[in-house]
Amino acid sequence: MLQYFDPNKDYGTPASLSEKLVTLEIDGVEVTVPEGTSVMRAAAMADINIPKLCASDNLEAFGSCRLCAVQIENRRGLPASCTTPAEAGMKVWTQNDKLARLRRNIMELYISDHPLDCLTCPANGNCELQDMAGAVGLREVRYGFDGENHLDAEKDHSNPYFSFDPSKCIVCSRCVRACEEVQGTFALTIDGRGFDSKVSPGQNEAFMDSECVSCGACVQACPTSTLMEKSVIDMGQPEHSVVTTCAYCGVGCSFKAEMKGDQVVRMVPYKGGDANHGHSCVKGRFAFGYATHKDRIKQPMIRDAITDPWREVSWDEAIAFAAKRLKEVQGTYGRESIGGITSSRCTNEETYLVQKLVRAAFGNNNTDTCARVCHSPTGYGLKTTLGESAGTQTFDSVMESDVIVVIGANPTDAHPVFGSLMRKRLREGAELIVIDPRRIDLLKTPHLKDAQHLPLRPGTNVAIVNALAHVIVTEGLEDTDFIASRCDDKAYQAWREFILEERHAPEAVEAITGVPADKVRRAARTYAKAPNGAIYYGLGVTEHSQGSSMVMGIANLAMATGNIGREGVGVNPLRGQNNVQGSCDMGSFPHELPGYQHVADDAARARFEKSWGVKLDDEPGLRIPNMFDSAIAGTFKALYVQGEDIAQSDPNTQHVEAALKSLECLIVQDIFLNETAKFAHVLLPGSTFLEKNGTFTNAERRINRVRKVMPPVAGKEDWEVTQDLANALGYPMNYAHPSEIMDEIAGLTPSFTGVSYDKLEQLGSIQWPCNDQYPEGTPTMHVEDFPIGRGQFAITEYVATEERTTSRFPLLLTTGRILSQYNVGAQTRRTDNQVWHDEDVLEVHPSDAELRGIQDGDWLGVSSRSGQTVLRARISDRMLPGVVYTTFHHPGSGANVITTDSSDWATNCPEYKVTAVQVEKVSQPSEWQQQFRSFEQLQHQLLRGEKAESGAS
Amino acid sequence: MSNQLDTLILMANQIAANNSHYGTEAEAAERVRNHLKKFWARSMKQQIIDYLQNDGSELSPLARQAIGDLDVRPGI
Repeated sequence: MLQYFDPNKDYGTPASLSEKLVTLEIDGVEVTVPEGTSVMRAAAMADINIPKLCASDNLEAFGSCRLCAVQIENRRGLPASCTTPAEAGMKVWTQNDKLARLRRNIMELYISDHPLDCLTCPANGNCELQDMAGAVGLREVRYGFDGENHLDAEKDHSNPYFSFDPSKCIVCSRCVRACEEVQGTFALTIDGRGFDSKVSPGQNEAFMDSECVSCGACVQACPTSTLMEKSVIDMGQPEHSVVTTCAYCGVGCSFKAEMKGDQVVRMVPYKGGDANHGHSCVKGRFAFGYATHKDRIKQPMIRDAITDPWREVSWDEAIAFAAKRLKEVQGTYGRESIGGITSSRCTNEETYLVQKLVRAAFGNNNTDTCARVCHSPTGYGLKTTLGESAGTQTFDSVMESDVIVVIGANPTDAHPVFGSLMRKRLREGAELIVIDPRRIDLLKTPHLKDAQHLPLRPGTNVAIVNALAHVIVTEGLEDTDFIASRCDDKAYQAWREFILEERHAPEAVEAITGVPADKVRRAARTYAKAPNGAIYYGLGVTEHSQGSSMVMGIANLAMATGNIGREGVGVNPLRGQNNVQGSCDMGSFPHELPGYQHVADDAARARFEKSWGVKLDDEPGLRIPNMFDSAIAGTFKALYVQGEDIAQSDPNTQHVEAALKSLECLIVQDIFLNETAKFAHVLLPGSTFLEKNGTFTNAERRINRVRKVMPPVAGKEDWEVTQDLANALGYPMNYAHPSEIMDEIAGLTPSFTGVSYDKLEQLGSIQWPCNDQYPEGTPTMHVEDFPIGRGQFAITEYVATEERTTSRFPLLLTTGRILSQYNVGAQTRRTDNQVWHDEDVLEVHPSDAELRGIQDGDWLGVSSRSGQTVLRARISDRMLPGVVYTTFHHPGSGANVITTDSSDWATNCPEYKVTAVQVEKVSQPSEWQQQFRSFEQLQHQLLRGEKAESGAS
Repeated sequence: MSNQLDTLILMANQIAANNSHYGTEAEAAERVRNHLKKFWARSMKQQIIDYLQNDGSELSPLARQAIGDLDVRPGI
């Protein structure tokens, strides 16, 4: 879908959702619109474009520029069309001599204080002020240009991605309103009055010193070049655009990649995107430069040992080498000695193909995905209770919620665009309950009405969820009609008997969780009594030894209160990466074929065997941690890793490194020499989301198209590489385009039978299930019944984690993410996002810091039973005393050197959120960090084709 | 005993602890067994079965009961 550059129409004011229609006449044209629609929007819908400057259809009407004045029959004066609602029988004129004079007068005033440098202005060709000057027929400026003006106002270049040139500002407030209404940060204001009015980040600070989160909504809203992308300043205006999907978090924002030839000029959030409605964050909008970074791997490479220099070879030679090594390993160690891992950063078609390669060409089920280490408990927990391994709602559903419960998630950092939507609903009056050891930023939402924070001890989620359920049951707050009509009675009665036990009362678990009982009781009542209560959760739920139990506990709460099956409610996992949902849907887990069909299901397996033309194994394969253990034990010897960096992202780094060193053949397909690739024997160049076709499925089950905007740097899209490897192994694959892979998926996956690229083109996006029953997809799940018939309450016994504080390790470490960096940082570290977070730090509570004599910025040794690393201290009271926090965006930080191999009982999802540690001041990097640096140096030397120096290993 | 076996014993005991409150002991054991059947790889099942047959002392009673009746399909 290549569209030559044609910016979306701006209707001036937001749409009205009213179902009542009114008919009016505008310039003699009869127009029918929903009640509450502005005259400006009504006119635009009839292709009558009223001049405007301060209006934009993603912002509430403001009525400040007066350019949109119209004449209305039987009304005095010339009202602003943006703030005037259309009424039945109204007669409006948008053009006459009086209006023309008024508009020219207004434009004269604007232009008298504006630099007349249009030909050299970066907005030239895409400037609303210039357009309006043309539209109103401005021919002279009677005031001249010598009066008092703002032409010497100081520019602010502090933000790496956009500049602020106040000399071009017309003080329309669109940037300020975008920051408030769209982003919800309130970082901008209009400072001063009258002629002195000016846009001010914070309190007259530079953008980088203010609370600005660099989402770019202000830049997009600016009608002049006051706020302008530096890439546009450098490159000029784009000439065509392609709609595609962001490759960062699980929100899955749609973007227009605005291009000059095959160069991206800027990424503009696409208003037609159903997940983001034209908004974005600093990563999606600005952090795309990694695609053209000098570190990109552009040529296939091979080597016999990880101490050998890499040798650049042709694709054919690399693929033949990889296939030969895989066959040799299987010949020596057996069919089950090899496997494959995909990433949630890959497309659906790519992950489908890799699991097919493993099952059909490798002949075993040793396939897994990085969802293993994030949301595998969601798959288990929701399938067990609700019958489907997916969230129940659309993102937009939150706008119908009365109470929003956020558990173990930090949406404003990790899912920023949804965080902004949530903040919008909170400003409208929804109540917020946060269950999290940290005081997350959502609790600081401007204009937040009521918020409850339950700062529990890490590792005690299940105790809290049971206590909430206990209150609901003992205080008669259950939705008995929903339970009777929708849930399995035997399972419910067993759960009810369990949860009624006094040991689950908030008072009884207070000593475990650290949360006062009255706070728990209040939160339970608030959620249960809400007309619409919605639960959103993240990795703070799943990455625990009881991650699956907690997911089931959340589903229990939703079923007990009838908060399932309509807008505004539900159980909503906030998936970390762009395609976590999709990689799970595509059969990446070792026990499930695509569509969550178990490998032991004879009927399902028979369908795949018939389609794929091979016999499939009916036993599950190894999961990622099991692969590592088997590698160290000597039974697992070769691994194909597509797009994932297990050496940095998986816990207990030293264990992972030992496993990778045990392999006789490690094939890594990636865009960079990532940490895993340093242990590889075959390095196959990957392609970024800009270089390939495919689909991503976001956290609301929405399948979105990924469209190629530039050729792959090494000549192949990732799915082509997997196909080549399959063919080299003797298993034929002959797809000509990813759409053919999707057709095969649709033929084998009941929830995808109606999905095709043609339908995606027609509808824009599709939320699965999409089949005969739901031909256009399913926005809200479980409206009438569950896929398993009746909802299954699960018994969620609290079992304390083995990872406990001791006198040796008296603090609890919990890990997380920040806004500007993404996952292992391979992409964002290679962009200017580095200016916000160029190192991982350890947040320490002031009381713990004082006890240890720690000052802000000190180097701290952090030790656990797994290992030790060194991080810089940041004193912060966002956590409880006794809890420390860090991120894992930089490999040299070694955050996962400390995390342990403790994992979820059901899925082996690592317990990243709870590690017992000790913290002390130190003066040098840890032993692991020193080894890391020398190994990194060696591997970069080998990448350049240089031999290792003597003694290096 | 290998580290890999240590991990499998730990995992089996964890699964048992998290399912111990489901009905009778036999029902709970059935749940644990089904879990192992559904999610553990062939080699993992075989190792834990072998361990139970040769020793089994570090397995919880519920885990022992579940693994006692566990079997492994031969595969393709």
